[in-house]
Amino acid sequence: MLDTLKLDEVVEFAENPEPRCPCVLLLDTSGSMQGERIEALNQGLLTFKDELVKNSLAARRVEVAIITFDSHVNVVQDFVTADQFNPPILTAQGLTRMGAGINKSLEVIQERKSQYRTNGITYYRPWVFMITDGEPQGELDNVIEQAVQRLQGDEANKRVAFFTVGVEDANMTRLNQIAVRTPLKLQGLNFIEMFVWLSASMSAVSHSKVDEQVALPPIGWGSV
Amino acid sequence: MCCSVNQNYSYLAVNNKFMNIPKQIPKWRIVSASVCGTSHIKNQQLCQDAHHWEILANNVLLIAAADGAGSATLGKMGAMIAVETATEYISHSDISHNTFAEDAFLRDLLTDAMLAAKKAVEDEADLYKYQPHDLATTLIIAIATPKVVAVAQIGDGLAVAKDSRGNLIALTIPSSGEYINETTFLTSPDALDTAQFRILRQEIVNLSVLTDGLQMLALNMLVGEPHKPFFFPLFDFVANTEDKTIAKEQLVKFLCSERITQRTDDDLTLVIAALRKP
Repeated sequence: MLDTLKLDEVVEFAENPEPRCPCVLLLDTSGSMQGERIEALNQGLLTFKDELVKNSLAARRVEVAIITFDSHVNVVQDFVTADQFNPPILTAQGLTRMGAGINKSLEVIQERKSQYRTNGITYYRPWVFMITDGEPQGELDNVIEQAVQRLQGDEANKRVAFFTVGVEDANMTRLNQIAVRTPLKLQGLNFIEMFVWLSASMSAVSHSKVDEQVALPPIGWGSV
Repeated sequence: MCCSVNQNYSYLAVNNKFMNIPKQIPKWRIVSASVCGTSHIKNQQLCQDAHHWEILANNVLLIAAADGAGSATLGKMGAMIAVETATEYISHSDISHNTFAEDAFLRDLLTDAMLAAKKAVEDEADLYKYQPHDLATTLIIAIATPKVVAVAQIGDGLAVAKDSRGNLIALTIPSSGEYINETTFLTSPDALDTAQFRILRQEIVNLSVLTDGLQMLALNMLVGEPHKPFFFPLFDFVANTEDKTIAKEQLVKFLCSERITQRTDDDLTLVIAALRKP
């Protein structure tokens, strides 16, 4: 009988992978971050994970990668969805190879996008969130210049949204020359609140449909 | 005014001529619904989708569906105006055998309907001192006879046909930018340049139009093919439906079912048509 036909028992759905919302944390682990600062940052990473998994859609859609820069640039965590993300415990030492770090972050994003495309995975505009307490140090000017140019090109072509957060002694003037978006100054070592905000923002983006403009929550943890 | 009366008159004359053709030609049956997505219910927003269908003279089926942008203040209004204007434009056009005989005629008709819809949305924005993008919306228009179907689409969403041999054909595919949360809107400056047009000259038995809320469930994204186990049961359902009101209730119930809302929190529009022998 038609009256008793239940459409939801007969209609089957296509199995498509969840759209992904990539987020690279680009973190300064140079010597000046030692002590309180790196500890607060490590705590912040735990909060980030906890907050993201509270939202079931964000847990499946937001992909986190972590790149650190000091005297070396390391991909500490390759892209992984939030539910699979185990925050590392970072230590601090060495110089501040920020230019090389920026380059690496833009590179891994480009690679990730190409993997998405090969596998038919749709995606949102990637975010890079750079956190530093200093300025580029220990690398050639042209390395920094190259990174700045690439970043500006990628921002202009909407390949990435790159956010910069300065901690305590950060050289905000220098950071302003590097980034396209105005860098924000973290209040004290308020990483917890900052990562709560970042998680809420990524959740908002990962829920958005057919919007260029996503309303982000107000920033309570920093200032311009 | 005089002109428009005359036009209506000739339209009726054409209609009468076609009344002479044998009675056993198949008739369209349509079931359709737009429902509000759970995320919009949570935020107390209106359903931003709109749709309309009608059967014109000569057994021509006309369907339009639009998805107002969530980011646009008045996306719902944009979607409603777009659908209303496009369908009114086409239903007042002089559609004859000739229209369907040539691709160029069909394409012009759909382009003009899109342009009329675009203008109406922009005029409305102007009237109330809004920007056109405040009324941003996608738009899909389909017109079909049992032998020809023509579709135009701006933005995402999907139009699908099933031919008499059981092949499922994607007439359009969702058009988004690089990122899944970006698409072109009727109000975008390049709207008409990026519009998809498709004319299929084949005996068809089913036609379906849906907005982007359902596309992840109805389309295999990797290969860009419509998912048969999604469409076939829906087509059978519409072909066998006896009571329009009950059928619509069933469709709404399905669109609001947990199986769907678990997977998408967006507004959903689904228009399904089936040709059935009387």
